[in-house]
Amino acid sequence: MTASTEVAPAARARRRRSLPPGLLGGLLVLPASAWYLILLVAPLVIVVVMSFGTKSKFGGYEPAFILDNYAQALDPSRISPFVTSLIMAVAGTILCLLAALPIAYFIATRGGRHKSLLILLLIVPFWTSFLIRTYAWLTILGPDGLAGFIGGITGDSSFRILGTPFAVLLGVVYAYLPLMVFPIYVTMERMDRTLIEASKDLGAGRWATFRQITLPITATGLITGSILVFIPLMGEYVVPAILGYGRVFLIGNQLVLQFLESRNWPEGAARAVVLIVIMLVTVVFYVWFVNRGQRTREVSVL
Amino acid sequence: MADQELERYVRQMRWQLERMPISRRGFMWASAMSATAAFLAACNSGGGAATAAPSSAAPSTAPTSAPSASEAALESLGPEPSFEVPPDIEKELFMYNWGDYVDPNNMKQFQEVFGVDKFTYDTFANNDEMMAKFQGGATGQWDICCPTMNYVPAMIDQGFIQKLDLARLPNLKYVDKTFKGQYWDPTDEYSVPKDWGTTGISVRTKDVKEPVKTWREFLDLIPQYSGKVVFVDSPDDVFIAPLKANGYSLNSDVKEELDKARDELMKVAPHILALDSDQYNTKIETEEAVLGLTWTGGILELRDKAETADTVYTIPEDGTVFWLDTWVVLTDPPHPVAGHAFINFIHEPHIQAIETETNRYATPDSAAKQFIDPKMLADEALFVPDEVVAKLEPQKDNSGITQRQDIWAEFKSKIGQG
Repeated sequence: MTASTEVAPAARARRRRSLPPGLLGGLLVLPASAWYLILLVAPLVIVVVMSFGTKSKFGGYEPAFILDNYAQALDPSRISPFVTSLIMAVAGTILCLLAALPIAYFIATRGGRHKSLLILLLIVPFWTSFLIRTYAWLTILGPDGLAGFIGGITGDSSFRILGTPFAVLLGVVYAYLPLMVFPIYVTMERMDRTLIEASKDLGAGRWATFRQITLPITATGLITGSILVFIPLMGEYVVPAILGYGRVFLIGNQLVLQFLESRNWPEGAARAVVLIVIMLVTVVFYVWFVNRGQRTREVSVL
Repeated sequence: MADQELERYVRQMRWQLERMPISRRGFMWASAMSATAAFLAACNSGGGAATAAPSSAAPSTAPTSAPSASEAALESLGPEPSFEVPPDIEKELFMYNWGDYVDPNNMKQFQEVFGVDKFTYDTFANNDEMMAKFQGGATGQWDICCPTMNYVPAMIDQGFIQKLDLARLPNLKYVDKTFKGQYWDPTDEYSVPKDWGTTGISVRTKDVKEPVKTWREFLDLIPQYSGKVVFVDSPDDVFIAPLKANGYSLNSDVKEELDKARDELMKVAPHILALDSDQYNTKIETEEAVLGLTWTGGILELRDKAETADTVYTIPEDGTVFWLDTWVVLTDPPHPVAGHAFINFIHEPHIQAIETETNRYATPDSAAKQFIDPKMLADEALFVPDEVVAKLEPQKDNSGITQRQDIWAEFKSKIGQG
């Protein structure tokens, strides 16, 4: 081990009694590495290998090396679930952002001594199962709920909310809002309030201050929140199936169809790989964007 | 009619009283406990796995005092059910089944009589999901399972199920000959019929005035009731409508016939409210949907309620499917004796009659019919008349036909998108 030759004799004597540094480090990293290997890398490899295979007689997987599955996955006539997913994910992220920004801003700046209580209130819904909360929306939006009420006012007895993209959007914004609020809240909370005062002293209006001071500083939180919401939204399955009645058909629903119903695992795997690639591109873009932001800030400080 | 009902009631009551393992003094406590257990079981059964609480309580339907006047009459009634508890029975049973598909009191009864403390009831939503689990390597997790008959051959082929120990299943003598020696299990060594039914058309006649007697009429009517039509989320069942409407076999694998079926399905896809196997009856109940391609489950209950009594279930004249769900013992079950004991128990005529009344599907056991509510026996949607039976076609395993799967995937992604 090269490291042992470089440490000072005293330090070496101290370390001799404990574990060698390399081994200790290795042990500390072991759980995390095992977690990544077993639960991330291995399944990923399986999915990629499977995506080149073919469907066996009874469904499932049979080894092969064909590209048909990708041709199927990228066939323009079958690509609509990807497009719908992308539209819904972008729309859902933007709506979350618009809803979360005022909430986070309010808690961070006006929360005062109630801050912890307000944050707690955001977490409270998580104490109930996600599925039950989604089913609750069935009652709220259903023909005996909001849809019936609106239908009664407008005289249109067939007015319906469930089974529309609106219901799905409402469901996902409701489900993922806290994931957006927390990162934004954290960055706003840490923000140096004197910067805002300085901006105002220098004659900037409310909007100019928000645009030039608050927004750039909280950008990391905004982007982190967007990523946290966007990625699960791309793979969303439960909300469109329950609140969308399956009329809003996303990529997640298609994966379920392919793995559990058609039992065509290779074709499902190919679609999953395409989805992973989309996610990777998004995350790489995110990392690049955040790094760029930090660099410009360093420059401005200088 | 009334006498028959009384007789039936007395018979069940007496039989349940005798199963009561506790003194009458403890009854109040026990019934409270059993009500709690039933409530918990009901709560649990909606969410996937439910473990019925082991309980020594009496069935909650037992009356608080036995009417002594009718005790003499009791003596003249038919044979008593007797359960032979195998000495080597295990204390646990793991079942993999459709949701809410076994009467909860029967499950409790089984636990009490056979001393099975832990009865785990895991659920699947459709046959394909079940098959996917086993193909993913889930063998050895459960003892018994309930596939539809057309999945039995593939399960045998892939070694998911094992031969039954027929010596442990004496009650199979009650099963009708009609259900024996069929294509899915020619030697009757692997599967035991559970119950059977049809796929048909449900109509709220309050809203839909047009006659709907055939699949042709049904398909042609759908655009008129756009956004108010529900289909079960099951490819085999959905394919029946376009294939039978054109006079083809519902198991067709002919390309031209399937092409025609595809065109028909794509025409109706934009008008469909939802593909829904679990809540279709709720949608029809609230009139969110007024037309449906459905099973009988849940629909028959709607007819009995005043507000929804206009619901009609029709077996189309151009023919439809008959399906049969079967009991099978999975390969390398952790509790083979308890598994066999349960299948045998459920075919005890008294028990089978309760199953039929709870699940509302036709029983394959003629012997059980004497214990079933005569009103139910007279229901032609359930116990189908012979001339209609002649037009029924058994479901085959079509899961290997790629064209069907492609059409289904396309259909599913086009629901409600006009």
